[in-house]
Amino acid sequence: MILLFVSLFSFSVNSNAKSITLGWAAWDPANALQELTKEFTAETGIEVNFEFVPWPNFADRMLNELNNKGKTFDLLIGDSQWIGAGAVYGHYVKLNDFFNKEGISMSDFSPATVYAYSTWPKGSENYYALPAMGDALAWAYRKDWFDRPELRSEFKKKHGYDLGVPANWNQLHDMCKFFQGREIDGQKRYGAAINTERGSEGITMGVTAAMYAWGMEYENPNKPYDMEGYFNSPQAVEAVEFYRKLYEDCAPPGHSDAYMVANLDAYKSGQVAFQMNWYAFWPGVSKEDSGGRVSGFFANPKQNVAAATLGGQGISVVKYSDKQDLALEYIKWFARPDVQQKWWDLGGYSCHNDVLNSPSFPTSTVYAQGFLDSMGIVKDFWQEPTFVELMLPMQEAIHDYVVNGKGTAKEALDKIIAEWVEVFEADGKL
Amino acid sequence: MSVKKKFKGLSDKAVGWLFIGPTVLLLLAINIYPLVYAIKMSFTNFYANKIGREPQFIGLKNYIKVLNKEAIWEKMQVTASFMFWTLLLQAIIGLGLALLLNKKFKGNELLTTLIVLPMMLSPAVVGVFWTYLYNPQVGLFNYVVNFFYDFGSFDMIGSSMLAPWSIVIVDTWMWTPFTMLICLAGLRSVPNYLYEAAEVDRASKWQQFIYITLPSVLPFLLLALLFRGIENFKMFDMVVELTSGGPGSATELASINLKREAFEKWKTGYSSAFAVILFVTIFGFGNVYVKVMNKIKER
Repeated sequence: MILLFVSLFSFSVNSNAKSITLGWAAWDPANALQELTKEFTAETGIEVNFEFVPWPNFADRMLNELNNKGKTFDLLIGDSQWIGAGAVYGHYVKLNDFFNKEGISMSDFSPATVYAYSTWPKGSENYYALPAMGDALAWAYRKDWFDRPELRSEFKKKHGYDLGVPANWNQLHDMCKFFQGREIDGQKRYGAAINTERGSEGITMGVTAAMYAWGMEYENPNKPYDMEGYFNSPQAVEAVEFYRKLYEDCAPPGHSDAYMVANLDAYKSGQVAFQMNWYAFWPGVSKEDSGGRVSGFFANPKQNVAAATLGGQGISVVKYSDKQDLALEYIKWFARPDVQQKWWDLGGYSCHNDVLNSPSFPTSTVYAQGFLDSMGIVKDFWQEPTFVELMLPMQEAIHDYVVNGKGTAKEALDKIIAEWVEVFEADGKL
Repeated sequence: MSVKKKFKGLSDKAVGWLFIGPTVLLLLAINIYPLVYAIKMSFTNFYANKIGREPQFIGLKNYIKVLNKEAIWEKMQVTASFMFWTLLLQAIIGLGLALLLNKKFKGNELLTTLIVLPMMLSPAVVGVFWTYLYNPQVGLFNYVVNFFYDFGSFDMIGSSMLAPWSIVIVDTWMWTPFTMLICLAGLRSVPNYLYEAAEVDRASKWQQFIYITLPSVLPFLLLALLFRGIENFKMFDMVVELTSGGPGSATELASINLKREAFEKWKTGYSSAFAVILFVTIFGFGNVYVKVMNKIKER
């Protein structure tokens, strides 16, 4: 008995000494990463424990952990917007020396992802993360419905062009409205499941997909933090008005606080013809096509310019970890081109050029070309250390206008700017 | 024997302190120290997430900012409206149910158990499952309402007009049993001879209710409403799960806004000032209320 106890105890000590914990959001790619990581453990003997937090609590949980200098996580796959806070407040380990020592070159990764997920200040050569999961907001649609001759001819008669992948947001609206309330196979269907969530970042991610396509800029490119006339430009106002129109005309009933999962549910249950969501979900959607459902995918439509909302994350080493050396070993392994290829094969979105530039990549899945197109046109929300303070007023004001129908789009954007000015002033930026 | 010897020299006062000492220490550590610390922070520009930035004393600036912020007054209005309607409905329905259950009939115990079930649930769970009940496509709530009168499709939590009512309905459903139980305790404490004397004096049922039942049960009802008032002033979990404070800010209660300022925006100094203002408000109202309640009892 004593021997058994001693051997069990020594095993647990050993396993703790050679284990690290990785934190991420609870979603499909996290499962793929867990699968992929088995190879890392087999190669190195280092156990990797995972803690996946549901999206609505992800930012709260992780940022509280970092602010409290918690040691729960050795590695963190954090949202792109966190990079500023991670660097400025010293939560993330700066990786430049490690990259140089191990011969990891950021030029091996897609430039848009390095810029968005790794650098602070933006565009500098200070790296705080390795691009881990490329992502952008895109659209899925019911290709099987689009292919029905009777629907195609009815649509063409009404709008004068073919029912298919929309070339711009006006066409997207036409198509969504075409399906709104329509009975297909004995069931009432609706237009589009779009982001309307109030609590975290949902409606902001959704409305900016329209605002970027209309050509919105957050600030004067020649005068940082000068937002007047940029963030509330006539184009930006028009985009926000359009998003409200899309919600009013095309969303299914009760879709007033919806984000990733709610959009997926609405689509999978056959309620809607379109869903707005992240590329991360497309492998699952595509794999689960059944019962006649055939899904098509396309990048965010153009309006005045081609643009898409950036998602995705980089993987960082937490400064407060006692096992930084093991965490860095994981990053070194993860950066390898062969591992990156497996990552893509398993359903993760690699940002490595060897994977993305491979001739077979665009045809490797039905959404691969869209992903490539999107990653060339992505734009992100503020990545400032104060991004949460910047996000919350936008969530409230946009939700108030789009879902609640309160005030005008211009008033909503003006209100956001006023709040943002206050945040930047408190942060010493203005 | 040795214990007896050891405590032989202790006075009654010392023994008293020995008993209440741990509680006092706990209160000081858990309630008083954080309160004093929050008051101190409320005079600074402290941000808990800005590591290495020392808080600076800024006087009453945070208080002035909170009191001058239009959005704060909107949240206070939402909170006041939520409290008014929930307390009113819980008082009326709770008293009504207590009167019903005070009668002796078959199945009384079973009915009481069923009625008190909602308040045994976790508010967060209640919030989540009512989002399903309110779903305009598959929710039971819309189906039941439309069964009695066809309003067509309506979205309880997506409409700014209906969302405030959606949280009032859920809170009333959940907490009316609490008011009912307290009122029932009050009703059962009314001596029977008062009703017998009233019968002899040929008082009608209505007169018995107005002159015997209501005055007897009123202190109990007021006590229940005091507890519910304090709870609803700081209501958070159920509403967050149900509406997230939306649509827009239609159901964003003061406590939800406080949480967002304190633990999402990390404006520690500002939110401390806001918390102190809320504390003073509820403390002031509570004191006035207790004084009124005592006067009613004395009558």
